[in-house]
Amino acid sequence: MPADAAVAAPPVALELDLDVFDGPFDLLVTLILKDEIDIWEVRVSRIIAEYVLKLADSGEFDLDATSQFVVLVAALLEMKSRLLLEEDVEEELEDLDPDEAAERLLERLVRYSQFKNVAGALRRRWDEHSARLYRSVPVPPALLRRPAPAGALPAPALPAALAPLLREPPVPDTSHLADLAVSLVKELRRLRLILGDEGEFTFAAVAPDDRLERAVTFFALLELHSGGEAVLRQKRHLGDIVVTRVARPVQVAAAAV
Amino acid sequence: MHALARRLEALLFISSRPLPPPEMAAACGCSTGEVDEALAVLRVEYTAERRGVTLRDVAGGVTFAVADDCAEDVRRLTGAERPDDLTPALLETLAVVAYLQPVTRAEAAEVRGVSSEWALSSLEQRGLVEQQGRADTPGAPILYGTGARFLKLFGLRSLQELPPLEEFSLQAAEVDEIRARLLANAERRRA
Repeated sequence: MPADAAVAAPPVALELDLDVFDGPFDLLVTLILKDEIDIWEVRVSRIIAEYVLKLADSGEFDLDATSQFVVLVAALLEMKSRLLLEEDVEEELEDLDPDEAAERLLERLVRYSQFKNVAGALRRRWDEHSARLYRSVPVPPALLRRPAPAGALPAPALPAALAPLLREPPVPDTSHLADLAVSLVKELRRLRLILGDEGEFTFAAVAPDDRLERAVTFFALLELHSGGEAVLRQKRHLGDIVVTRVARPVQVAAAAV
Repeated sequence: MHALARRLEALLFISSRPLPPPEMAAACGCSTGEVDEALAVLRVEYTAERRGVTLRDVAGGVTFAVADDCAEDVRRLTGAERPDDLTPALLETLAVVAYLQPVTRAEAAEVRGVSSEWALSSLEQRGLVEQQGRADTPGAPILYGTGARFLKLFGLRSLQELPPLEEFSLQAAEVDEIRARLLANAERRRA
């Protein structure tokens, strides 16, 4: 548990000056664990930035303290990401007026009690049937675990038995494994050609079927985007990505190359 | 004895799993109707009062089982033990899986209102619940369901034999009572 780690390990010396908190990092972690500070309010990226600055300033690198810091920050991020997932439910119940909350709770209780009753019925069936013995085929005696035969072996037998285990096994032949057939450079070239010809295309239209190849195509899109060659747009969440060429003088592009 | 009944007896004797009648029909080259008829003859032959072995319909087929009053002798001979008892938490989780399958861990936890991680893995270890692939939802969570061992241990022919879930609903009066209590609570919270 992250909480235990925080207690057991040496403290991380870092003074923070955040919107919601001013003081040492350890105190912040303790307060969050005790629910005295809402982790929502804490920008973990700020903490990391301050720590990196402090590292850069001090010029010393304490591996133990830094590891401890990474562990604590990871724990904070985990807590925060959990909150992201639970937010809907929690907020909903908080916002409900007590009557409505009672109705919701009732709904859940009614549903749960169905299964509680089923469990009772299953219990009765279990008591009646679980002891029954059906026709089965036992494991053949030859396959049963049997005690090793007693016997004495001469001492040299041990090294003789171990020696083959210590020898390096031959390196497996991997010549039949083909290298990855996709390359980012090639994919970029392909997408640039399409972009040049059509001016606009969608991810779905150009993406190959293979998962890995699709990933490379997507990566190439990001390259186009970050290089300012194309604009990526998505009409809705999880929708298709529309890629549009950024209009700029051909001469400039050529000069840059 | 009925000729076909004798042949079915041979199949059931040699099979280590419950045999579905169509499978027996295919093996004997006859119709399922004829198999059902011959099985009826066999069932009379193997009533528990007459034999130490009986015929049982379980887990999708017909199989030989030890007559209940002889089970203890068999256990002493073979050393086979009764399966470990199920705790209320395990039975509850099993009930959720049996009725809602295929079901994810999160769905089971939602119904029960508590994490069902331990219960599910314990049921899985006992062979009462098994993994049945992954859901086509974000994160591709594992889907759980029940298998043949569940049917056998609960003496069920198939999942269809489980009574409908509605039969286990609370009585209207019980629901009203819980509602009244919850609303009284809500009133107190407002005050």
